Amino acid sequence: MASCLEIRVICEGCNQNVATVHLTEIVKQTKKEVHLCEACAEERGVTKKAPFSISDLLGGLAEPQPAEKEEAAAPTQDCPRCGLSYADFRAHGRLGCPEDYRVFGKLLLPLLEKIHGNTQHLGRVPKRAGERVLREKELMQLREELRRAIDREEYEHAAELRDRIYRLKEPSGGNS
Amino acid sequence: MEIAELQRQAGEWLSGQGPESDIVMSSRVRLARNLGGRPFLTRATDEVKTEIERTSREALLSAALAEGLLYINVMDATPIERLFLVERHLISKEHANASGQRGVALGKKERISIMVNEEDHLRLQVLCSGYQLREAWVEMATLDDKVESRLDYAFSSQFGYLTACPTNVGTGMRVSVMLHLPALVMTRQIDKVFHAVSKINLAVRGLYGEGTNSSGDFFQISNQVTLGRAEEDLIRQIEDVVPQIIKYERNVRESLFKDNPKGLEDRVWRAYGMLRFARTITSNETMELLSQVRLGVNMKIIEDLDINTVNELFILAQPAHLQMCKGKKLDSPERDVARATFIRNWLE
Ligand SMILES: [Zn+2]
Ligand SMILES: [Zn+2]
Repeated sequence: MASCLEIRVICEGCNQNVATVHLTEIVKQTKKEVHLCEACAEERGVTKKAPFSISDLLGGLAEPQPAEKEEAAAPTQDCPRCGLSYADFRAHGRLGCPEDYRVFGKLLLPLLEKIHGNTQHLGRVPKRAGERVLREKELMQLREELRRAIDREEYEHAAELRDRIYRLKEPSGGNS
Repeated sequence: MEIAELQRQAGEWLSGQGPESDIVMSSRVRLARNLGGRPFLTRATDEVKTEIERTSREALLSAALAEGLLYINVMDATPIERLFLVERHLISKEHANASGQRGVALGKKERISIMVNEEDHLRLQVLCSGYQLREAWVEMATLDDKVESRLDYAFSSQFGYLTACPTNVGTGMRVSVMLHLPALVMTRQIDKVFHAVSKINLAVRGLYGEGTNSSGDFFQISNQVTLGRAEEDLIRQIEDVVPQIIKYERNVRESLFKDNPKGLEDRVWRAYGMLRFARTITSNETMELLSQVRLGVNMKIIEDLDINTVNELFILAQPAHLQMCKGKKLDSPERDVARATFIRNWLE
């Protein structure tokens, strides 16, 4: 289970080797995570060696940085969909449902940045999801137009709009 | 039972066909996908797992993914059958040992396979013989489209394909090549390869993937990053290093032969001799000796042996394969005898 969590981070000292020494430094009352290769760690007089895991990463990230304490505290509510808490995620390194990426989005960004060096997807997009997004947009516009038509008592136009909304909704009617 | 039928054949990826197949045993592309509107498996009850498995199975079986698509219910399989599927690279160890409804769909040639309810709802795999990453990716893109036409994937425009573990999110893709590097191991230069590869953020693993020792001098190189780089880009990252490693291994093979031809020939023929005449042999020793023989065949030191005969033995001599073949559970000493017998017959 733990194997997908092997993460390689490049040494901040020489920007070359893989960092194998990971520590938390406190500089001017601000906590900072430092990742070094063995050579650079030795050079700085650090001898502590610790295995690096996602929980360590998360442990460091979860402690709110003094400057953004309030911001970090806000999204720590549990996921309304699957009930996962951010603490659960920190303990096991697995998310509970797709919704968690939205619920814990802010907290996940620095982690994703560390793992992937990126936070924005590039590459394939599912065709159906693409279509669905478009369809939902169109539905929203039609509903808005329908509301206005009813306000203006343009019932013939409203009926037309209603039929278009029904037709659009149909293809996705079967699932979720 | 359907699993038993697999035993009479070997996966196409062992055929020894394809470019650079003297060094690149196989090329693989894997995609992690989850269905929308359901929890990931760590938060799924048995009932939810059952629903996901049924929905996925029905979709996969109706999507015309491959000729003679076979679906195996892993929960109903015996422990030996599960291990048998692991040994063939069709399911992971985690999938074999998990709980709840789960399965694997596979094509006749075992070129494509799809695990249902592993760490993610779906894990799609395309596995080819030799150095054929591009071909594997083209096939995977088609496979992914077909599956997606039947199922709604969990996807976000920012994070891409959503996965249970944030290390897989984005493309959800792992690309890997399995390299046979006996000469670099023999001359203790393999660490240089590890070092170079880890510097550019690629991972190195053994024959059975994550967390295994590399046995038989096989090393699997794969991408680590999955988010923020397009699929072709991730493939290119692997393609940037593989040719160099191939060249390195070939050069060392040549110089080994040049420096001491009789020494190398002796080593290869002794290994072949042991495999042909041993009466009891462990799995580890088999892997080591087969690696030497594979080197010998590829260097044309041994000429009366086909490469696929050797490749297939790496898998067929594994514990669960032997027990499936015998049709019963064997303890370790019995397996070693059965293995030696099987290998003797195979090489005759
Ligand atoms: Zn360094
Ligand atoms: Zn959730």
